[in-house]
Amino acid sequence: MAIEVTQSNAVMLPTLERFRQINDAFPKTGEILEHKSKGGKVFGWLCTYVPEEILHAAGILPVRVTGYSQEMELEDGNAYLYINNCSFSRSCLQMGLRGEYEFLDGMVAGSTCDGARRLFDLWQYYIKTPFHHILTVPRKYTGKAHDLYYQQVTQFKEHLEEFLGRKIPDEQLINSIEVFNRSRALLKQLYELRKADAPPISGAETMEVLNASFRMPKETFNRWLKDLLEELSKSSITHKGRARLMVVGSVMNNPEFINSIEAQGGLVVTDELCTSTRYWSDPVVVEKGESPVKAISKRYLNNFPCARMVPSDERFNRILNLVKEFRVDGVISQIIRYCVPYAHDLPLLRDRLKEVGVPVLALDVEYGTSGSGQIQTRVQAFLEMIEARKR
Amino acid sequence: MVSETKKSKIDAIIRASRLIMRMNQANPASPKSEALYYKMLTSYYTCLLNAHDEGKFIAAHTVFFPSEILYAMDIVPMHTETTTWMMALFLGEQAEILSAGAELGLVPEICSPHRGLAGAFSLGALPRPDAMLWSNLICDNTAKSGELIMEINKCPGFYLDHPFQRSETEDKYFLGELEDMICFLEEKSGQKMDWDKLSKIVQRMDHQMELFREIGELRKTVPSPFPNRGFLQLLTTDYLCPGQPEAIEYLEALRDELAEMVRERKGAVSPERFRLMTLFVPPMYLMGFLEKIGQEYGVVSVVEPLFTRWAEGRLDPSQPLESVARKAAMIPERRSMYGPLGQEALQDLVDCAEQYKVDGAVYWAFMGCRHTCATVKLFKDLLNEVDVPVLTIDCDIVDPTINSEAEIREKMEQFFELLEDR
Amino acid sequence: MRALGVDIGSLTTKAVILDGEGIIASSVIASGDESEQSAGNAIDEALKQAGLKKDDGVFIVSTGAGGKDISLSQQSKSLTSCLARGVHRLFPSARMSIDMGAESSTVIKISERGRLNDWVNQDKCAAGTGIFLQQMAKLMQMPLDEMAALSLQAKGRADITSTCAVFAESEVISHVHREPPTPKEDIVAGIYYSVVSRIISLCKRIGIERDVAVTGGVAMNGGLVKILEGELGFAVLVPERPQLVAALGAAVVAQESIEKGISG
Repeated sequence: MAIEVTQSNAVMLPTLERFRQINDAFPKTGEILEHKSKGGKVFGWLCTYVPEEILHAAGILPVRVTGYSQEMELEDGNAYLYINNCSFSRSCLQMGLRGEYEFLDGMVAGSTCDGARRLFDLWQYYIKTPFHHILTVPRKYTGKAHDLYYQQVTQFKEHLEEFLGRKIPDEQLINSIEVFNRSRALLKQLYELRKADAPPISGAETMEVLNASFRMPKETFNRWLKDLLEELSKSSITHKGRARLMVVGSVMNNPEFINSIEAQGGLVVTDELCTSTRYWSDPVVVEKGESPVKAISKRYLNNFPCARMVPSDERFNRILNLVKEFRVDGVISQIIRYCVPYAHDLPLLRDRLKEVGVPVLALDVEYGTSGSGQIQTRVQAFLEMIEARKR
Repeated sequence: MVSETKKSKIDAIIRASRLIMRMNQANPASPKSEALYYKMLTSYYTCLLNAHDEGKFIAAHTVFFPSEILYAMDIVPMHTETTTWMMALFLGEQAEILSAGAELGLVPEICSPHRGLAGAFSLGALPRPDAMLWSNLICDNTAKSGELIMEINKCPGFYLDHPFQRSETEDKYFLGELEDMICFLEEKSGQKMDWDKLSKIVQRMDHQMELFREIGELRKTVPSPFPNRGFLQLLTTDYLCPGQPEAIEYLEALRDELAEMVRERKGAVSPERFRLMTLFVPPMYLMGFLEKIGQEYGVVSVVEPLFTRWAEGRLDPSQPLESVARKAAMIPERRSMYGPLGQEALQDLVDCAEQYKVDGAVYWAFMGCRHTCATVKLFKDLLNEVDVPVLTIDCDIVDPTINSEAEIREKMEQFFELLEDR
Repeated sequence: MRALGVDIGSLTTKAVILDGEGIIASSVIASGDESEQSAGNAIDEALKQAGLKKDDGVFIVSTGAGGKDISLSQQSKSLTSCLARGVHRLFPSARMSIDMGAESSTVIKISERGRLNDWVNQDKCAAGTGIFLQQMAKLMQMPLDEMAALSLQAKGRADITSTCAVFAESEVISHVHREPPTPKEDIVAGIYYSVVSRIISLCKRIGIERDVAVTGGVAMNGGLVKILEGELGFAVLVPERPQLVAALGAAVVAQESIEKGISG
């Protein structure tokens, strides 16, 4: 029993289709190739703690490095990262070693988790993209941590300036902040629509939008997203499910996975994923008299946290807020095998959700899983359990 | 009643080490350092066992933690990984501890030593700490271990954040972290930092690092005087007793014994046929087996670049806190297990192979240690370039159900055959 | 003095007798419960073929899972070392060899002198082994050789991405029961591709170096070898009797020992 899609006058959403086309062409999307052909530089970034605005202000097209969002053969990834680093890092390395990211002029990562830092180490050693940078990302939110991160972002900017042979002026940074904040605001609007009893957009469709946002110029993305919001406001399509679900856990950007949940009637209304909510949730706020770099560094450290951060309660509280705001009936935790930060947090998160009466379905997955038969069976049972509780 | 059982578990370590100490003392052929090592263990765990009765504050902490600070504040440290697994080994309770961890909801992909910590606490096998301290040196597991343990023990905690790279700002940040931790501990324990005491500990720690380096130098000799089983003892010494008189006493005796053997051209195995580099740590419960197979085949581990190769540099007792921070950056594990894997760290590995006249290397690929396994291929590539073959053995370092002795023997014998054929 | 190599495997025991450069006799028998007896039978069979008796001066080297502590042999040598010697004798240009056996796969690197340089094996997991292929044949309800022939007709291949034999099985089942079902030949190609991918993964752990030989029972599976070659991007060397290579290697070791003057 899939989510019910009502579609009275059969309007397709053309912009959604455009976003999907971008994703189909990934990694070599038309947008990336066009930027390159005009002599522009394209940089890869690895994790949401890497401040994209700095790259954007330097005229660089930032592209998020991921695997193919689906499960893939990981021969090289397994050989170089061994089988016990998460399949996300192995997928990225696999693509890198196969030359599928050969268009990158730079690779920027943060010391966010073991998988990310080792992927960066090996990327630097074996793939040799012209520019490499890794930022020390503190795991705390203290004033001292903010000072350190500010210095790290400054140093990253200086390294980039040295590589490019030109300065990145503050006006450019302010402009980039505006472009990215605009993007965040539009994505927030999109998410707001999902608070409805029967939202006009599904979870799987939302993920297509987000995936495209990592793979095209932000200005174009913003224009398209505005078009999509326009189309959605006029559309009479609605999605109604058996239960309202939230997906939490490791990096995941496969719309097929969400689709496999929604195909059974579990409507995914929100999430805590670094590829979705955690990507856009907080804007950069430039306080009076503050430098743009300072404002950027503050936002990236304070943003909706990854499980790497300590204390974890900051993340848990944000999840609990989303559960309330989006009227979530159940949480699906999908943790990639060997994604240790999330694995450690799971018992604690489960307790906190239990306190507010929200059940958790914990899935151990590989990066890119599209939801196998076994997963579907478990989702099915989970939905039945939620329905039984509602009665 | 509950506290009685807790006591008896730690008591198992004390009884076992006291027994080994006495056996060593009674055996005239046994080197003096062996008894001293077990004396050190006995004293560390006796302190822990009696801490609460004596009204002392216990701080549990994860591996690679600057416990010098705890000693200087008269706080009793409890090294969680070492304590859990030493106890498990002596009592044969590995399985119980790991299943307790699983019951808490910790998945098998979490490194087994850390899965066991929370398990051991929830079983009440370890004394209840008054505070939990943990850090991201060395990995995501250490970084994420603390909060669940705090919750189980209903105790406060402090997370010590190690910056990933080295720079003036990052060093300053870490110093600030140490200061904040001292404030936290002063508040929770009601005890003040004794700076003079810290300064003395730093002075001894400086000497201790010299001793580690001297021992490392002596192991360059052919034949190497240092037995295979000594590796874990060296680690434990710094894990439990950094800058403590018992550690110095043990290491000085050990150094003198090794120097004597070098003068007499005596090796730990005779004849010495193959000199090995050990990468990562062999399964703890196989140390006896490794000693045996080493004797059988004339094989000796001469260097463990990830764990026993200390960086050059001195500590300054007049700047005790800065020195504690500096030491944290000088520990061998900091070179290639944490921080960016730069050219320097890679070159050092190759240098190691040459300086120690290594015939082959064994990489213990511990499935729980993701970040070290990520270097298996890279290190193999580098060592193969200088004609050092590498044997990789997938293993678990604390769970004896994963590997059998027979299986590891087969792999090692095959490797010795390969070395022989060359 | 003749050189005899005996490879006591979990399913079959093989013996090879060398005289100078050539194999003068060989035998393959089913392994029994007792390694000693299996070895004895294989050796007797080979000797009979060569028209020799045990006391005619034969130097025996044993290898394989049951090759250690065999009283019939004067020396034992590990399987990987023997594979290296055997492959080198057949193909001096081979620097790497993939041995796909019933229960495990091993990839070895071979020095120019024919010595083992490095190896890696997959022994904890059934995916990518002969037993896995047998399971799959059962699932597809067709004999192994029919499967191999069918795979050559595949136009596409079914996606079987799971790294675990158990999950791969459920993927295959879902392909069979799909509406419309995935063509059988594509499923077989998918199965072979997943095995090959596991093997290549193993090769990459120690670095692929040409030429590459393939030995062991699975090497006789033409369909699988073709996919392996496609993925590697070059042709591999396959011996006429791939299951005999380790025994041949053991016989080469025996020859070396005879030359060095080591006697039992």
